[in-house]
Amino acid sequence: MTDTEILTALTELREPAVLATVVATRGSTPRKVGARMLVGERGVVCGTVGGGCGEGEVVEAALELLQGGRPRTVRVDLLDEPTSWSPAVCGGTMDVFIERANC
Amino acid sequence: MNPTPSQVAALVLEATGGGESVHTAVVVDASDSSLVGRRWWVSGDRQGGTLGSAELDRVVARGLVGLFAGRGATAALSRNFVYEEKGGEATAAVYIEAHHPAPALVIVGAGHIAVPLSRLGAMLGLRVVVLDDREEYATEGRFPDAADLRVIDFRDPFAETPLARQDRVVLVTRGHRFDYECLVRVLRMPEAPCYIGMIGSRRRVRATHEKLLADGLGTSDLRRVRAPIGLDLGGQSPTEIALAIAAEIVMLGAGGTGTPLAEKERIVERFFAD
Repeated sequence: MTDTEILTALTELREPAVLATVVATRGSTPRKVGARMLVGERGVVCGTVGGGCGEGEVVEAALELLQGGRPRTVRVDLLDEPTSWSPAVCGGTMDVFIERANC
Repeated sequence: MNPTPSQVAALVLEATGGGESVHTAVVVDASDSSLVGRRWWVSGDRQGGTLGSAELDRVVARGLVGLFAGRGATAALSRNFVYEEKGGEATAAVYIEAHHPAPALVIVGAGHIAVPLSRLGAMLGLRVVVLDDREEYATEGRFPDAADLRVIDFRDPFAETPLARQDRVVLVTRGHRFDYECLVRVLRMPEAPCYIGMIGSRRRVRATHEKLLADGLGTSDLRRVRAPIGLDLGGQSPTEIALAIAAEIVMLGAGGTGTPLAEKERIVERFFAD
């Protein structure tokens, strides 16, 4: 998803949504700083912060924020053992900032 | 009111569409936690919102040029800033995005390679412009993803298409004579595009280079031309060739080598040697 696509999606939201942005990474992570995702009440609207269980954590936190609360940073740990076959085998951590996108 | 991400997105699209760059900033952590989520943007001499402290806005504004120096494309980063607040020092982690007008991919020649290349270019976030002197080829039906289609005269192909340093030019016209006409003009531009590619066999490229030298250009100019164009993927169809061209554009823009990662990393040889 290009910069223009996510910006366009942000301006065309028809429902309350949360914007999740990768703001810092350490070690090997699937997406780099600047990756963004929009989450609505029914889940991911568009974009990705990396997929797998790391993203699941972010989606959960975003759904919670839709119910209320202050913007915050979610730290996602991708340090599982590579042989566990979990999707989180990249070996890094990332900070994902979540905030309400349109209200 | 703190501008929302949606409001700032609308502003960024409007500004970059009009050829302006925008920097947006949001506080993601701070010694004063009430600042978290505060947002500020600047574009030329316009700005809006605030990071919650006029002094912090100023510190970030001063840092922008140095932080993004040498990063041409849209970029993002986080930095910790220290600023004066109520006689003491306060700190804030700020996430900043730099948004620039999309670089153009100017495809000269609306033939069979231009069609898939236009799609790939748009998918890569480039503003695709297709030029040809044949009106029946440079059509919206053939190029639904192109931001601009122009019927041109090869005697002055870029008359209405100003090219900038961050743009990419691909020469795939129906004849090498036309490719040459375009190439010699691009090479003589004071601010030539960062990518200049031209299709052609070894023999054709050699003939073109000989002509460039005869016309007074130097070997340093020849080296600026990616010809034959594209990475060596081995593909033959128009789509495969377009992919090889797009791959080369990505590689040069992102500083890659084009080497298959498996060959670069050699995991088996390095870690599983017999």
